[in-house]
Amino acid sequence: MDSQIHKIHQQLVNQDITCTALVQSKLDALKPNTNHTVNALLEEKALELAAKVDAKIANGETIGLLEGIPFGIKDVYMVQGTLTTASSELLKNYKSAYTATAIQKLLDAGAIPLVKENCDSFGHGSSSENTIFGAVKNAINPDLVGGGSSGGSAVNVAKDYTVFSIGGDTGGSIRQPAGYNNVYGLKPTYGRVSRYGLMAYASSTDCVGPIAKSIEDIRIVLNVMSGKDVKDQTTYASAEITPEAIKSSDTIKTVGYFKNFIESDAIDSEIKADFLAAIEKIKAKGIAVKALDFFESNTLVSTYYTLAMAETASNLSRLDGTNYGNRIEAENLKETYAVTRSENFSEETKRRIVGGNQVLSQGFSDEIYLKGLNLRDQISENFEKDFNEVDIILSPVTPSTPPKIGDSLKDPLAMYLSDAYTVGFSLGQLPTLTVPQGTATGLQITAAKNNDELVLKFANFLKDTI
Amino acid sequence: MSKIMTVDVLSSIKGAQPSETVNKLFEVIKNANLTNNNSFNNNHNNSVSLNELRDDIVIPSSDLEKQIIIENFPKEKNGYLVVSKVIEE
Repeated sequence: MDSQIHKIHQQLVNQDITCTALVQSKLDALKPNTNHTVNALLEEKALELAAKVDAKIANGETIGLLEGIPFGIKDVYMVQGTLTTASSELLKNYKSAYTATAIQKLLDAGAIPLVKENCDSFGHGSSSENTIFGAVKNAINPDLVGGGSSGGSAVNVAKDYTVFSIGGDTGGSIRQPAGYNNVYGLKPTYGRVSRYGLMAYASSTDCVGPIAKSIEDIRIVLNVMSGKDVKDQTTYASAEITPEAIKSSDTIKTVGYFKNFIESDAIDSEIKADFLAAIEKIKAKGIAVKALDFFESNTLVSTYYTLAMAETASNLSRLDGTNYGNRIEAENLKETYAVTRSENFSEETKRRIVGGNQVLSQGFSDEIYLKGLNLRDQISENFEKDFNEVDIILSPVTPSTPPKIGDSLKDPLAMYLSDAYTVGFSLGQLPTLTVPQGTATGLQITAAKNNDELVLKFANFLKDTI
Repeated sequence: MSKIMTVDVLSSIKGAQPSETVNKLFEVIKNANLTNNNSFNNNHNNSVSLNELRDDIVIPSSDLEKQIIIENFPKEKNGYLVVSKVIEE
């Protein structure tokens, strides 16, 4: 699909549509909300901003490319004055006092926020069922999950309720729902986009990223959000990615894929066949393809969850009803914390907090947590070696198609294993894009750190190739 | 703290028990082979150099920000946050 942002921009400039009518039509589509994608509509603010854009156009003033473009925001981002619930009971009445840097940059560029989007509570899940707002329903088949944790964001884009959405990806939370709903979803290089104002889940892998229907729209939104931010000292300065830079794929000579992802017993036979067919089409274009060795999926998933749980136990310790959230009073402060957290966290969140405290505690930290950190370093080193040999790594997004609503909640281990192909790239902090092509749940394109441009370049090549 | 703390106490979650599913994930780590035991935490690419530390300055909150922060506190009395009874131990 062509860029929706360019198309709408031109319609606004030509006065074929008004921004108010555009925003109203999107709000009207979001209101019935049969896919459970909406936690809160930002109706009043959106219409107020749209009227300003219309006034500017009426006065003959020039508008920027993102000015007047409606977008959605996963409900883990601070947007001043809006409820920021993380789809949780604990924060269902919590109001953001400030705005996340990435979102502020979009607002400064004139984009119009429409909706805070449903997701797994605190990003804990791979299906967007773990939420107080009702399970997000898949855009293609509503009997299936929307994917997680940025399910509402992916479904809103797929259903054209928003032109683009901002998700958050820790272990695959943008890429997996993008794959389940046939849209593009990018996890940029860790640190390219500021995390300031994103509710922390696992700080060493949390990334802010766009979900959209075209590579060009991903490029535009990424450029606006990127940059060094004094409020997040893990950020770095990055160059703008130009449209010309990603047109030609001449520099890409070799593509790699992980043998064990494809030879695994766990992969769906159709996804495997489709992936191998995509590889053949790439070979036919004269690109060398190399099979690579990698860590077993079980090791990747276990390393990721061990570190993510440790970090979430630490990050969520502030949510105790006194510092933040709905407090349930008990006889003393200690009991108040315990009752508040017991009653207000979901089962999945509690499972992760307890797991995190287990691995951080005396007697466990050496043989599990520290070993997990060591494994992560080895995974990163492995990637560094791979990218000396190949330009791009291609992989399926998921081993199987989306589960039915309800199934993931019954089997948490199966849910954790559904992240087998996404978590490794998170541990490596690498830029990875889901493209809605190749297999039923798409393909992932990964490049070395800070090579986000190469990822988009290869996506353009794949668009014309398969 | 010398006292051994259980996970429900560590997590401030009443009656919380370790999960079988999560323990299976940990077993994989315990049994994983490390090719190099000396590579602990070599991934320092995101550390901040001393020259890049931000200035230690106070940035006043806007009135709106202050108002929203006050709104978020669940209990308030005479303009002060109400804290539960402090633990005496």
